[in-house]
Amino acid sequence: MTDHNTPAGDLRPEGIYPPTEEMLNEPVPLEVQERQKERLGRAWKTPEGWRYWTAVNNSEVGVWYTMTAFVFMLIAGVMALLMRLQLWVPENDLISADLFNQLFTMHGSAMMFLFAVPMFEAISILLLPAFLGARDMPFPRLSAYGYWSFLIGGIFVIGSILFSAAPKAGWFMYPPLATLELGIGSDIWLLGLSFIEVASIAAAVELIVGALKCRPPGMRVNVMPLYAWYVLVVGGMILFAFPPLIAGDFLFELERSFDWPFFDHTRGGDPMLWQHLFWIFGHPEVYIIFLPSIAIAAMIVPTVARRPILGYSWIVLSAVGTGFLSFGLWVHHMFTTGLPNISLGFFSAASEAVVIPTGIQLFAFVATLIAGRVKMTLPMLWIAGALAIFTAGGLTGVMVAVAPFDWQVHDTYFIVAHLHYTLFGGMVFPVIAGVYYFFPFIAKKMLSERLGRWSFWLIFTGFNITFLPMHLTGLLGMPRRVYTYPEGLGIDWLNQISTVGSFIVAAGFAVFAWDIVRPKKDQPQIPRNPWGSGTLEWSHEIPETKWGVRSIPHITSRYPLWDQPKLVDRMDQGRYYLPDAEEGLRETIVTSVIDARPIQVQRVTGPAYITIWAAAFTGGAFILPTFHIYTPAIVSAAFAVVCILYWLWTSTARPPEKDMKDVGLGLSLPTYAAGPQAVGWWAVWITMLGDSTAFASLVFGAFFYWTSNTAFPPPGAEHASGYLVALATAAFAVSWALTRAARGLNRAGRVGLARGALALAPILTLSGMAGFGISVLDLDPTSHVYPAMMWALMIWVVAHGALGTIMQLYCLAGSIFGKLTPRYDADLWNVTLFWHFMGITALVTGAMMGLVPRLM
Amino acid sequence: MSSNDHDRQPHPREDEHEFGEERESLWRIAFAPTIWAFHFAISYAAVSVYCFRYEQMYSMGTLRAGLIVMTLAMLAAIAWIGWRAFQRWDVRGTGEFSNPAGSAEDRHQFLGHAGFLLAIVSFIGVAFDTLPIVILGTCR
Repeated sequence: MTDHNTPAGDLRPEGIYPPTEEMLNEPVPLEVQERQKERLGRAWKTPEGWRYWTAVNNSEVGVWYTMTAFVFMLIAGVMALLMRLQLWVPENDLISADLFNQLFTMHGSAMMFLFAVPMFEAISILLLPAFLGARDMPFPRLSAYGYWSFLIGGIFVIGSILFSAAPKAGWFMYPPLATLELGIGSDIWLLGLSFIEVASIAAAVELIVGALKCRPPGMRVNVMPLYAWYVLVVGGMILFAFPPLIAGDFLFELERSFDWPFFDHTRGGDPMLWQHLFWIFGHPEVYIIFLPSIAIAAMIVPTVARRPILGYSWIVLSAVGTGFLSFGLWVHHMFTTGLPNISLGFFSAASEAVVIPTGIQLFAFVATLIAGRVKMTLPMLWIAGALAIFTAGGLTGVMVAVAPFDWQVHDTYFIVAHLHYTLFGGMVFPVIAGVYYFFPFIAKKMLSERLGRWSFWLIFTGFNITFLPMHLTGLLGMPRRVYTYPEGLGIDWLNQISTVGSFIVAAGFAVFAWDIVRPKKDQPQIPRNPWGSGTLEWSHEIPETKWGVRSIPHITSRYPLWDQPKLVDRMDQGRYYLPDAEEGLRETIVTSVIDARPIQVQRVTGPAYITIWAAAFTGGAFILPTFHIYTPAIVSAAFAVVCILYWLWTSTARPPEKDMKDVGLGLSLPTYAAGPQAVGWWAVWITMLGDSTAFASLVFGAFFYWTSNTAFPPPGAEHASGYLVALATAAFAVSWALTRAARGLNRAGRVGLARGALALAPILTLSGMAGFGISVLDLDPTSHVYPAMMWALMIWVVAHGALGTIMQLYCLAGSIFGKLTPRYDADLWNVTLFWHFMGITALVTGAMMGLVPRLM
Repeated sequence: MSSNDHDRQPHPREDEHEFGEERESLWRIAFAPTIWAFHFAISYAAVSVYCFRYEQMYSMGTLRAGLIVMTLAMLAAIAWIGWRAFQRWDVRGTGEFSNPAGSAEDRHQFLGHAGFLLAIVSFIGVAFDTLPIVILGTCR
């Protein structure tokens, strides 16, 4: 019996944990197994026919995501081939300068934003639950929403080249070139990619919560697969790296659309701020791409070496250490901008220091291979290629980290060679290794050994033929991003070699792509664990089932399939946790962060159209402003909000039909969680951490202008109205306090008072928004960067206030319609958490608008 | 699998309890790199503000001395964190380097090991990032 006075979020697990050996040995009667399978199968059934696209299960969304990113990669690769054809001979006129600009801009942007980063998210969504023996990610609809956003945004951005409207200012969009650029290319880049960045952050939230809270019982942090460690680190990096770019995009688009001079030095702006914000994103991003790919290697190497990884803690060190140090490198992209030499020195030093953790993980792999009995399988061949190429790229990296050397080769083909060596070795090769290795898991068929070797040798040799000569081309002085070059510089033959090589690479990719898509109906069924691996994903069932794992195991070692011999049989028989779906709901187990003790049964969401609608309307809100169509864009944004509210209202944090559920092995777990126990609370926390980073970037911008510009704010400048700012800040603060009070009152059963607080709070929020808005009305944002900055801060806080208002009203409605009660109050916990961040944002904005400028 | 703590009943507010138990070590693994991050950010910000706004007015001597003192304090802090983590790892007591097993003891020592290694890397990182301050005496 459960106590009906305890809030449902405070219920504790009951019964036995961990399971004893005798319990695990007890057989499950066959007919029970059959009934369980039947019910599980029904709960996890993939929709059929045209409803297939409403699927949200990680195994479907993951495959769409991976294939979409792969197709974008192939398109971006074709763009590279066109550029190589243009550079085949000097003074070539195959492609116009304008189209060439679009091609190199789109090649870089697409490879980074539409392939490399999404590929990490795609692969992780596809595989992480299997690594962790979970049924699905904690927020399947969020994955689906992220995917549809990515698809819409990606097609919009990459499709622009068909209309010759693509961005053409280079993938890092430096102002003033990109701010002055006519046409809509830069807007497409800014808005389309911001849209995709939002999807990336959504994926990061999903993956961090997945790795922290959805591990199987018993899988403590010291036994979780290394991949999960990398996912954690990379998810954290995304939260600190992407928001500065989003803040930069925000300022940039305000400049392009409304002529607010953030990067225009004639009106106090500074193009350097963009470079800082872009590269604070851009350099960690290199590691955001590299780490998850090398994580694939960390999964493959122990399998081919047929022994546990050597130096598990060392690899954790190197992932975490690289994650930190990679944030101290960004200025090494800006060595030639005239910053003080002593400042360059810091970044040069950090760039050399990051080699240490990066090197350690590679040495750990090599050591594992030396200590093991290596079977040179196809995945291992690609990993070996990756190590060779990445090491070469790392060596040139050490060279260009030295500022005086960089001054010589900056913006030449030497850099092009360097970055392709690191990205092919650090990302492309390990990912292809991963495709060969995990394909039997994903598609339950093997890829061809013969085609795989062909593809490897074509890509490996072609790659070196293309990019090795480019070091020399660059040293001889050929700048990057020129559409042609004069005869007689001694670089003609080098360019020809590179062009030949690029087509060999393309041939290799053609073989690889064919191997993936060719029909495999006649191929024999694969063995269950074809590589003899020790990690949990190879407990997958053949033929395929959709429920993920038949029952969620109790894990006590790093390589459970090697060390726990009865594990797979017991999983299959449904001897472990959650072997059934009595209520016909999709469920997975949530465990504690460090020691993975089971704490809750999480009901996860199923197929839905609403995610597609939500993504489509969100797309409208981002895409329409590109064409300066603002009213429909606002309508579209409103529809997106309605869709998301509908989705949250109907399927998240609803009071369950019973408070506790028997999950098997004598353990009962709560079916509802609120506050820090709930995955939703963690998701809000992580999202708002990212949001705060973006806000901090804006604040950094204001201080940046103060350091770089002797007149910020300009002498005699008009300030935002001090009284209004103070009143608005106070209104937000009271609204914040009311929200927090509503949570306590509601829990204490004083529902009427809680509703009163939740009704009053939005009124205060709206007045606060009005106060901030009116306070800057006398300032002309086009006149100088100072008033523009005040307006930008105002927009930021008002937009967040609007969200905060909606959330307060959502809780009020929840309380009135019985979704939110004193016992079931997860929504109010999450909204209060949002408001903690909102309150701090409002206080800081108040200080930045009312106080700081008067002191500067 | 036979460690004592397994017999403990599930605890209400499991996460908070765990953070209570392991708060130090969870923070400690990220603590040394965080010191590196602060060292980096403070050095860079201080030097930038000086070079852009105050270079004409004051010489750099005081700033350099101040930053070097800060560095020494931070290096000492990292060394102390590393030493504490080394004790948690307890390799001399157990002879166990990699802690692959599934007990709470193993997890405890593993976090010590990871924290120890991160302290070493952070120490090197801080030392590297101080070199420009030691070697270069001016902004240019």
